[in-house]
Amino acid sequence: MRIEKIKVKEDKTIKEFIDELSLSAVPILLELDGEIFYPDDNYDRKIQAGDRLAVIPIIAGG
Amino acid sequence: MKVQRLNKILLYDDGAARTLNIEEIAEYLRKKLAKVGIEARGNPFAPYPVQDKISDYAKRIASVKIQDAAKRMSFGQEPFYAEIEYEKRRILGKTRTSGVLYNGLELQRIFFEMIPRGERSLEFVHIFFNNRLFATWDENDRRYHARVSLCGIPSIISTTGIVEAPAKPREYYLLKQQYEMLGKDLLELKDRFKGVFIDYEDERLTEVVKGYAMQAVFYSLVGDPFCQDKGCRLYNAHWQDELIFAQLESEYEFCQRHASFLEEMNEN
Repeated sequence: MRIEKIKVKEDKTIKEFIDELSLSAVPILLELDGEIFYPDDNYDRKIQAGDRLAVIPIIAGG
Repeated sequence: MKVQRLNKILLYDDGAARTLNIEEIAEYLRKKLAKVGIEARGNPFAPYPVQDKISDYAKRIASVKIQDAAKRMSFGQEPFYAEIEYEKRRILGKTRTSGVLYNGLELQRIFFEMIPRGERSLEFVHIFFNNRLFATWDENDRRYHARVSLCGIPSIISTTGIVEAPAKPREYYLLKQQYEMLGKDLLELKDRFKGVFIDYEDERLTEVVKGYAMQAVFYSLVGDPFCQDKGCRLYNAHWQDELIFAQLESEYEFCQRHASFLEEMNEN
């Protein structure tokens, strides 16, 4: 999994966004408008149609 | 390949190892990434001289200790007073961590909050060097596995992980069991395998860590820290001999693809 930018199609919350992509069990960060945050700290945050969210996977090495 | 523009690479180090030379790593990155600013920020805990803040971090770090590598940890576990005090001493540089395993993702989350809000962006590469040994849970065999690095915001690189995470030769573990059963000195065993794996306070550590720092940089640049080429510094080594080959013995630093990528980046 690589960093991927996803265009939001309709207004929703971060929680809804994560659930739709089945990402709740995957270690990721999100970026919106240049700001990176943990999704579960921002579940109630509202995102709007047209927003571009970067899904940033956390990758372990070694 | 989509490339992220980088503003700055920021290095943090809370005294990870005596043989880790951060300034040398910074200089190496300056040469490899001529157009990106590199800044060594020192100890990430240093801006928090207030005792309450140190206690808070100590408590949070103590709460992400893994008690049993075969049991997925539950969150919000309350650490013992002695564990908090130990972490406090560790933060203040009065002791070194050893024999403790931490949940890497949770440790990373604590470090994330230490990054100024204005710098929590993909344009900034934050790399925390530390000597805490951390692990991530693997659902396939349902246990924690020690790791060298965890790429994210920040990327964390463990000097203890470099020693403990990639496997040593099988013969070493067999002999270690025998030595332990017979009560023999393990230092003698280490002498027999001298140079075959990276050890604590190894003089080769700085050179090895340069490659891991580059993995963190490529993670931010293109989203993928690794390369399949065993001779490339971006190779994700799982054995000590692989690590030593990729970081120290290979005839080239980077495979052709990644070398060209860096060249182009420095030209444009």
